[in-house]
Amino acid sequence: MKRTPISVWAALAVLAAVTAAAAFAPWLVPGATDQDLMTGITGPGPGHPLGTDDLGRDVLDLLIAGARTAVPGAFAVAAGSMLIGNLIGLTAGYFGGWADTLAMRWADLMFSLPALLVAIVVAGVLGGGYGLAIAVLVVLFAPTDTRVVRGAVLEQRHRPYIEAAVLKNLSAWRIMTRHIWPNIASVALANAFLNFAYALVSLSSLSFLGLGVAAGSPDWGRTLADNRTQLLANPWAVIAPGLAVIATAAALNIVGDWLHERVDRRGRAR
Amino acid sequence: MLRVEGLSVRQPATGRTLLSEVSFDVAPGESVAIVGESGSGKSLTARAVLGLLPAGLAASGLVEVGGRRVDDDPRAQRRQRGSTVSLLMQDPFTLLNPLRKAGKQIADGLPRGADPKTEVPRLLAEVGLPADVAGRYPFQLSGGMRQRVGLAAALAAAPRVLLADEPTTALDATTQREVLALIRRVQRERDMTFLLITHDLRLAFSMCDRVVVMYAGRVMEVGRAADLRREQRHPYTRALLAAEPPADRRLAAIPAVPGSVPAHDAVAGQCAFTDRCSLALAECRASVPPLRPAGDAGRLSACVRAGDLPAAPAPPLGVAAPVRTASEPVLDLRGLRKTFPGSARPALAGVSLTVAPGEIVAVVGESGSGKTTLARCVTGLERPDAGTILLGGRDCSDYARMSREAVRQARRTAQMIFQDPYSTLNPARTVGATLKEALVADGRPADVAALMELVGLDPALAALRPANLSGGERQRVAIARAVAGEPALLVCDEPVSALDVSVQAQVLGLLAGLRERLSTGMLFITHDLAVVRQLADRLYVLKAGECVESGPVDRVLDEPAHPYTRDLLASVPDGTSRWPG
Repeated sequence: MKRTPISVWAALAVLAAVTAAAAFAPWLVPGATDQDLMTGITGPGPGHPLGTDDLGRDVLDLLIAGARTAVPGAFAVAAGSMLIGNLIGLTAGYFGGWADTLAMRWADLMFSLPALLVAIVVAGVLGGGYGLAIAVLVVLFAPTDTRVVRGAVLEQRHRPYIEAAVLKNLSAWRIMTRHIWPNIASVALANAFLNFAYALVSLSSLSFLGLGVAAGSPDWGRTLADNRTQLLANPWAVIAPGLAVIATAAALNIVGDWLHERVDRRGRAR
Repeated sequence: MLRVEGLSVRQPATGRTLLSEVSFDVAPGESVAIVGESGSGKSLTARAVLGLLPAGLAASGLVEVGGRRVDDDPRAQRRQRGSTVSLLMQDPFTLLNPLRKAGKQIADGLPRGADPKTEVPRLLAEVGLPADVAGRYPFQLSGGMRQRVGLAAALAAAPRVLLADEPTTALDATTQREVLALIRRVQRERDMTFLLITHDLRLAFSMCDRVVVMYAGRVMEVGRAADLRREQRHPYTRALLAAEPPADRRLAAIPAVPGSVPAHDAVAGQCAFTDRCSLALAECRASVPPLRPAGDAGRLSACVRAGDLPAAPAPPLGVAAPVRTASEPVLDLRGLRKTFPGSARPALAGVSLTVAPGEIVAVVGESGSGKTTLARCVTGLERPDAGTILLGGRDCSDYARMSREAVRQARRTAQMIFQDPYSTLNPARTVGATLKEALVADGRPADVAALMELVGLDPALAALRPANLSGGERQRVAIARAVAGEPALLVCDEPVSALDVSVQAQVLGLLAGLRERLSTGMLFITHDLAVVRQLADRLYVLKAGECVESGPVDRVLDEPAHPYTRDLLASVPDGTSRWPG
């Protein structure tokens, strides 16, 4: 077995920190959103390592609390689109014919739409809201999973082990989920991680535009948007949430790659 | 001309040794074969000679070409590659660049100053191809023609040594014979030194003056082909030769060696063959026996008992089972036709055949004969255009139109074994899970251990994934999966052609045993007449989708009526220097 590279350890550390922040934010920073208008905006100093924003809220506390909104939302998008995309991709690749044509033309149609723009329009027309933003992104991300999974299924479809399963009269559902999927899991997982990272950025963008979380909620994109006019007073209030988004997205990509390799190696001789 | 001494190949990253202390030499104009099963290190030896070892491997020892040491000087090795030593590779379908015309690829190898306009047609004529082949792309050529183009390219620089790595393994039997005859003629005419890498001992005897037998990264025996054929001074050579079934007579059982080729390091410090050898002594495990002169001139053997090996009794002959005339055949095909979309020629042009219960019926043919399509139609993996398929008396011509229950019945009647042991099992599932699922699907109690014992597997292997099994073990698992529900018909699509000879003998023995125990009828698809002779009762010869001859195996093979059957029969190597003719 190859040694795990240091970049993967670093990425895992970032994800562990972000996950911990998302899970325990209410206990870690119970007063993250408490305003202190007397303090106002300050640069980094004692008691406030990253300073405060114009409402006197501690930026570090906001960052920790923000993970709780930013990360689960992106996770929901990745998981939701993975589920939908894998089901459609498996069906299209396994049965072929009109099911395949239908699924692929649908994917083509979705691909021709600019994802973020559609999300902005839909959220704008229907009045915004975090849940809606997530639902829209799930629908828009699922086609990438569908295409990737379908391609992987086509590669497995005519292998003798699948034909042997057909000859054993196993149900199509069983062959798809128990025989084909474990062999394409590495691809499906890697793609889900890419979507996770992409969804994180997209949701932050929506929040930045005011179409995601409600005003005042702690969220990386929101914090960034709220403080961009105060860039000179406390640059960290803008830089820190931006860095959080970038670091988490990069970490997700690295870990996704690493998982892909690991899962792919499973089933080969050691 | 070529001298290899104490050649060892190691993988420094893992500390594994793949090849140790390989020594042999080839005189100018001489032909030598290196013979071994997969994992013996024969191809690695050839690559080390050429300085073409895969990345991550390191060689030590001495390699001399034309009296010049080359192993310590990569530039010398590069210089002699092509001009002094040329390589003919195995797979005719990947050895040529698909985007370049054949003539250009031959011209690439010409020495500086040679005129391609005159040289390329001359080379093509030498390998028996018309001059217009030069203007064609590889996809316009058949496998045999591509291998001839490969030979012409290898000859372009007028090498003094020709190295051929399994040059005909991917070709059909009749094409193999033609190409081998060509290689031998060219080698003699040019008086080239020839090193042949092959897994086929009989082929090596026919083609070469001397033979080097390798096993698990070591040389086991060296000798002149005629001497070695007459008498083997190493139990492994003997076992290898015995495991290759003869095409001219039926044996009661093919003598099989248990187990499979071990990794070099698993048998370090002892004779590599000890664990599979019936004649082993305590001495064999004490140290690695060196290669010592044994008996006749030039003979070397690495067996401590080389001098006093007991004579091997000739294997007893068997008799073909009497032709079964059951009232109800388990498989009855009538006028089966199939043309693939976009293909001008039908894959099946009206084939009729029957299989009686417990009968083994072979379908023989070369690639393109339609034999695999036939097998896939029977099991419903392809749909025939016309004709009827009766499985156990029920019409199964079109699986798409049958009721669920009828399909289930058909699938319990006929099961299939596939060719490639590496893709026949789901790599993500353990052997136990695969077999348990098969038993449940066939409505049997989930007794995986009993099923594994039926096919001669250790039940402890149930916890492993296919990647940790050898090719032979995988094929046994595939057989177990197929016979889990004791089907009345087993369709075997080239089940042993991807296996090593010693393992092939085991699997053929297993199939013969299963027929006795479960009285399973078999439709056995193969290209190998020697296998047919050992296993089958009746035989159908297929050519271009049509059955050209059929009948009891012994009658058809002893007195072939159709010229195509005679061609096929003549293309089985017989081990004499008269072959390939």
